[in-house]
Amino acid sequence: MNIHTTPQRTPAETALIDAFSDRLSLLPGDGTVMLKRDDAIEAIKSGLPTRRIESWHYTDLRRLLNAVPDFDPAAAAKAIAPIVEGSVILPVLNGVSSAKVPVIDGVIVQRLSEKLTDGSIAPGLDPYGTDDAIGALNTAFVADGYFVDIADGAELDKPVELQNLQAGGQTHVRLAVRVGAGAKAVIVERQTGEGAALVSSVSQLLLDEGADVTWLIVQEQPDTATHLAQFKAHLGKNSKLTLFVMNAGGKLVRQEIVVKTTGEGADFTLRGINLLAGDTHTDVTMVLDHAVPHTASTEVIRNVVTGRARGVFQGRINVHQYAQKTNAKMACNTLLLSDDGEFSTKPELEIFADDVVCGHGATVTEIDHSHLFYLMARGIDEKSARGLLVKAFVAEVIEELDDEAIVEALETRLDGWFATHG
Amino acid sequence: MPAVQDTIDRVRKIDVDQYKYGFQTEIAMDKAPKGLSEDIIRFISAKKDEPSWMLEWRLEAYRRWVTLDEPKWARVHYPKIDFQDLYYYAAPKSTPGPTSLSDVDPELLRVYEKLGIPLKEQEILAGVQKTDVSEFEEASDNVYKSGRVAVDAVFDSVSVVTTFKKELAQAGVIFCSISEAIREHPELVKKYLGSVVPTSDNFYATLNSAVFTDGSFVFVPKGVRCPMELSTYFRMNEKNTGQFERTLIIAEEGAYVSYLEGCTAPQRDENQLHAAVVELIALDDAEIKYSTVQNWYPGDAEGKGGIYNFVTKRGDCRGDRSKISWTQVETGSAITWKYPSCILRGDDSSGEFYSIAVSNGYQQVDSGTKMIHLGKNTSSRIISKGIAAGFSQNTYRGQVSAHRKATNARNFTNCDSLLIGDQCGAHTVPYMEAKNATAQFEHEATTSKISEDQKFYVMQRGIPEEEAIALIVNGFVKDVIQQLPMEFAVEAQKLIGISLEGSVG
Repeated sequence: MNIHTTPQRTPAETALIDAFSDRLSLLPGDGTVMLKRDDAIEAIKSGLPTRRIESWHYTDLRRLLNAVPDFDPAAAAKAIAPIVEGSVILPVLNGVSSAKVPVIDGVIVQRLSEKLTDGSIAPGLDPYGTDDAIGALNTAFVADGYFVDIADGAELDKPVELQNLQAGGQTHVRLAVRVGAGAKAVIVERQTGEGAALVSSVSQLLLDEGADVTWLIVQEQPDTATHLAQFKAHLGKNSKLTLFVMNAGGKLVRQEIVVKTTGEGADFTLRGINLLAGDTHTDVTMVLDHAVPHTASTEVIRNVVTGRARGVFQGRINVHQYAQKTNAKMACNTLLLSDDGEFSTKPELEIFADDVVCGHGATVTEIDHSHLFYLMARGIDEKSARGLLVKAFVAEVIEELDDEAIVEALETRLDGWFATHG
Repeated sequence: MPAVQDTIDRVRKIDVDQYKYGFQTEIAMDKAPKGLSEDIIRFISAKKDEPSWMLEWRLEAYRRWVTLDEPKWARVHYPKIDFQDLYYYAAPKSTPGPTSLSDVDPELLRVYEKLGIPLKEQEILAGVQKTDVSEFEEASDNVYKSGRVAVDAVFDSVSVVTTFKKELAQAGVIFCSISEAIREHPELVKKYLGSVVPTSDNFYATLNSAVFTDGSFVFVPKGVRCPMELSTYFRMNEKNTGQFERTLIIAEEGAYVSYLEGCTAPQRDENQLHAAVVELIALDDAEIKYSTVQNWYPGDAEGKGGIYNFVTKRGDCRGDRSKISWTQVETGSAITWKYPSCILRGDDSSGEFYSIAVSNGYQQVDSGTKMIHLGKNTSSRIISKGIAAGFSQNTYRGQVSAHRKATNARNFTNCDSLLIGDQCGAHTVPYMEAKNATAQFEHEATTSKISEDQKFYVMQRGIPEEEAIALIVNGFVKDVIQQLPMEFAVEAQKLIGISLEGSVG
């Protein structure tokens, strides 16, 4: 332990550094953006995070990322049907946004490549901390995505679906969304494809006063893909964010959620489902900052682990000194269904204010035998009974979302997963 | 909800500027030169009259230690420790060997008197000089029957006296200083020393392996229930001296032992280093109960001085159906870095950890436990209560893990913290790692422990609200206090009344 070593660069680190010099001339950006890219690649040159870095304790990226595919200009991904019928689709195909942006009332949609070229997106490109490897990777390579600005008071009647679709190679995408005061929207972030790709995707969301947003992340990468994603949000005064995350695929997945309440009365809800099968390593890491008084948050994460899958949930709630009257609750429940699977969880609380209500709970267990017995005593065979119980365990989280169309859409995704992995 | 007034008052009573044990004693000391090198280790080893294998063991640890860095992951901040600016050996001059109490410097005895080691113990301590075994036996028939405690008193680097040795020997129990054990029972020491905390374990354990000067050794043979509580009292006195003690407790098949540890140090402006290692080994059906009341000097109200307490404590439930239980009450030290752990290796073994940590002034506590489930049907239980006041930081850091073959591993963890004032911080960092589908882990950190239902139940029996709350809280904290042996209950009593109302995660 703690022995001094001079780390040698791994093939993946070398591949990333080489790819950067190859790609540099093709990357959009003004002077500021390019400087930020240089800083970001320097961070990668100093090495990918290992388990010694506390926030990467259970996902040793340096060890796990053992191959980085080359950029594949020939890869062609096709837009897919949205999960909720009638949604407005904003596709990013293999890292490139559509030249034809749809027209939505009260919404400005721009290609992110334009915002990079004129440098107006530059401030958002800074990593949020020294251990922000995903932010650095994305800032170095990001070439496209979308910028969406929802006007004050606008109420979108249809969901907006941002599709990030890959067909192999590398894609680095960023989605930046601002929701104006009092505006209301449902945004779906689809992450899928069919190649052995390396995907980095950063979504950044800014909620103005009283904005109300439901954001769904549906990640269904093939079991060959590496998916490194980050969701960052700032919650203004009296704003409300319901974030739903579903991970149901990928070989190496890390989904970071970085949320900060910046206005009093902000309310954050996180509901997550991790369906882990095969050899996947899936890590959901949340850092939540209660930075002002009178804000609330609840997080519920449900995990199902089968096969040789490894799952991780890290959740840290920071309650700042002035954030009195914070109300924060976090729960992480895991069903470990196979002897070869594993799950690690670290629900942290960092509290500096004395008048708050904070709690967390975490459980790891197998299916309750008395529940199983109850069903089997009623003539249901063991396999179906188990299936019912597992599905009920995760579906409970989905049912809490009070939009019928969304609940139905997500249950379809859930059924799809159980059909192949149940 | 903020903490209630009663709680604030009680915590105030044990605030850093109320430290009672801060006196220092002028005693002629025999010291090694400052600094750490292979020569110093040879000096310590020679002073202790150790066999060559022990010296080799120390040197190997030292050579490893120089390649290590201090761990940085804990939530404690302090200026870099200059390990070359410390004395690694200091012993009261007048002690030729800890054989009988008559050899002990009366000044030293006064120190222990002043520290308030239980009075009846003092009588017995005093009795050592003139007593033979029969008198003890007589005593054992009356009031002392259950209340007797054998004490190993460690003063800076050496053990000055161990009481009740003869009677314990009759039962087959070996209780002596570790230096004596190395000389008298090398086969046992060789077999078990470093088998739970290897020399390569961590920075401070490695340092301790190289330079440890004394500590206690307990061996309870097969089938023996140790006839009395064993206890070690650690006292740091010398300036700029590090205390590095090593404790090794072995309970053979079916044995039982309860062991208590207490610590104090004088009030000084400089920080002092304490890096101990405790190893517990429980074979089949054995049970070890280890209790600590840690009351090292915590520094003054401005955060000046105090003990840096970097301790590695680990128990190995090596045998089937063995049990190890840690209980700690932590009120002292400027910095506490301490994670008493259990390795649940034997099938059906169990581990327990009960802790109350109170931090005040500028104290920093980073403490918790590790429960490593390796055997089948193992269970563990963690109850931790942290109370932070003043400018202190109080962190619970715990790990529970079930390995592949640990079928039916069971854990329950409950940790609560309470903040008094808005300048302190409370942190909870639990790690849970399950690699077996039959593992069942539960972790909870709840806010208010007093449910309306409970309160209503008590109140509708005619008990006023305040008393009802006190009743419920007492019952609640007793979870931990009950685990403490009688002798420590007095110190712990001060903490009993602390309400956890208004606590956060």
